[in-house]
Amino acid sequence: MFPKGLKNGFSRRTFLKSTAATAFSAGLPSMALAAGETVKIGFLAPLTGATAAWGAPGLSGCEIWAEKVNAAGGIKIGDSSHNIEFVAYDNEYDPAKARTGATKLIREDGVKFVMMLGGDTWPGVQPVADRTGMLFSTLLPSDLSPDTETLLAPTEVHPIYLVTGVQWLAENKPELKTAVMCAQDDALGLPSVATYLAAFEAAGIEMQDEPLLFDPATTDFAPIVTRLLSTSPDIVCLDTCYSDYVHPICEQLFQQGYKGQIISATADFYDQMIAKTSKEFMEGFIFQFPDFDDPALNADNINFKDANGFYAEYNKRFPGQWGAVSWEYAAIMELWKDAAEKAGSVEPDSVLAAMKEGGKGKHAFGDADWWGAEMFGINNALVGDWPVVVIEDGKAVIKGFKSIPDWYDQHGDLLIKHMSAYDQMWNQRS
Amino acid sequence: MFELLAQTGLNAAYAASYISLVAVGLVLIFGVMGVINFAHGELFMAGSYVVVALYADRMVPFFVAVVAGLIFVGILGLIMERALFRPLRDNPLGGLVASIGFLLILQALAVLGFGVRMEYVPPLTQDVIVFADKISIPVARLYVIIAAVVMLSALWYFLKRTRFGWALRASAQDPEAAALQGISVTQTAMIAMFIGAGFAGLAGALTAPLVSVNPHMGHTIIVTAFIVIIVGGVGSLEGAVVASVVYAFVHTFVTTFYDGVLADITGLSLMLIVLIVKPTGLFGSADRA
Repeated sequence: MFPKGLKNGFSRRTFLKSTAATAFSAGLPSMALAAGETVKIGFLAPLTGATAAWGAPGLSGCEIWAEKVNAAGGIKIGDSSHNIEFVAYDNEYDPAKARTGATKLIREDGVKFVMMLGGDTWPGVQPVADRTGMLFSTLLPSDLSPDTETLLAPTEVHPIYLVTGVQWLAENKPELKTAVMCAQDDALGLPSVATYLAAFEAAGIEMQDEPLLFDPATTDFAPIVTRLLSTSPDIVCLDTCYSDYVHPICEQLFQQGYKGQIISATADFYDQMIAKTSKEFMEGFIFQFPDFDDPALNADNINFKDANGFYAEYNKRFPGQWGAVSWEYAAIMELWKDAAEKAGSVEPDSVLAAMKEGGKGKHAFGDADWWGAEMFGINNALVGDWPVVVIEDGKAVIKGFKSIPDWYDQHGDLLIKHMSAYDQMWNQRS
Repeated sequence: MFELLAQTGLNAAYAASYISLVAVGLVLIFGVMGVINFAHGELFMAGSYVVVALYADRMVPFFVAVVAGLIFVGILGLIMERALFRPLRDNPLGGLVASIGFLLILQALAVLGFGVRMEYVPPLTQDVIVFADKISIPVARLYVIIAAVVMLSALWYFLKRTRFGWALRASAQDPEAAALQGISVTQTAMIAMFIGAGFAGLAGALTAPLVSVNPHMGHTIIVTAFIVIIVGGVGSLEGAVVASVVYAFVHTFVTTFYDGVLADITGLSLMLIVLIVKPTGLFGSADRA
């Protein structure tokens, strides 16, 4: 009764999408890549506005990466080599502008791949992705859903990697038994809260209070810190607070006399935090984003090529600007380049197939699995090891790599429980 | 519990100080010129960036940078008065729209000049005054409280005890009658704009080492300032100060004892209740000023 393709899981919806994508593609400029032609990659992220810190530094990192790749001969597709060029579009973290940008990058600039921050801008872009079949990446896997098979989260599996920091903390400082947490009440903060709650529960660390949520527009953190410290916790967890929050919160913790453990997703510009507090106060601060001059990133299993050299060049060009996203978009490009060279093509469907071949991929921090069916409804998140970073003597040091899949195998039910409680499972999000 | 209450009270006193400096400036501009200055949050931001440029980047002493912030932002206010508000004196809606345009220009200039990321401002001092072992107030925050008390007292004295102050109040109450008495409406508008903008710049400059300085930091403070002037009574300086204190204490206590999101809802609810019970605000009258 049904065509064979439909019987074997090729749904009517997929059929319609594919047909639409094919029809749309027919109207696009020629897909063939001429010998020596530059390959254009779209960079669709906030470059201005309040969220620019999650986009602009990543573009800087990409340009350094492209210069290096181009100087080494470019990307090799079949028998010809091609330079890579980034075409940036500032979406100002606005879904409508992101949609316009995606259309422009694909139709006018002829890009072969589009990197995004994602988050609030993804719903604007999703129809374009579905219509064109273009390959997109996001830094936020909460954007993933079975609806869009060409959206990947190949680097930052936020917030699942946060479990590794708590796991390391519990193993290395077992005397710390109580915690409190604060977070901004937004799309980045809430799934992180659920993840930290799961991680603390798995580690046997008791939450002394409900997570304290604050408005993202908050500028004065003294009342929040007063509340956090009112129960004399062993651990203060700063969730995935942005730098604009982490810095004043730490300063307040210092000024209100806190002397315990701090754990956070990020500690961008931690040297400034040390200057505002003290080296002793920041000693032992745990977070998840290393400086790439760390010797641990020279290990054979690390797939980000010449991490130390990349860090040195970045700091030379943008002194003091290294942050969590400085390397992430470049790491995605490493993955894309390998897949394109393996596929012998830069076309999105070929690259996607090569990238996901065998269900394995080369994540920046080591070989990893394409994962996520339970959490995101689709195995489009590349998950493996993630570093745990600790500030020691004023410098971020990788203390080890922890396996996210291993943690999930043991405690996945806790994560699903807390994610569900905060309406953060993929099938709960509107 | 006593320590928690006392600490929260000190936190609220600090919040009330910088909010009142901003709100009083906004009220002064509205009272004298009849213009809702949407760029007031960006004037606060500009004050912070003066401290970044002078104190953080060029090692100018902090209090010199703060005074420079007050004067620089006051001059920005004069430019706004001359270029935007004076030509639109009979068109309050035009003034409002012009101020939104100026807001965007200031934000763009900050991005061009300093970039999109938050700026590092070295701490003025790490000294903390501790009471009863657990109640603390950083000296840098104490400076903000002292500066607010001194400047607001000085403004009160200026308005109530000097000829320029009387002229300002007369212009606010009835511009035509004031003009008939020989008071220059243009001159009083310039004075109001310099003081109003300068106070926002002063608040931004004083708090620069205590907050994250970035081009979009004006959003939060302008929303708070609008709530405060509506609660206090649009056009009432006393109302702005009292409402700043009320708002700061309510917001800070709700944040500490419940959470920050609920505190925002409570702040807005406070405004709604005042609008329903006394639409002119706590100290407002049916007439402007």
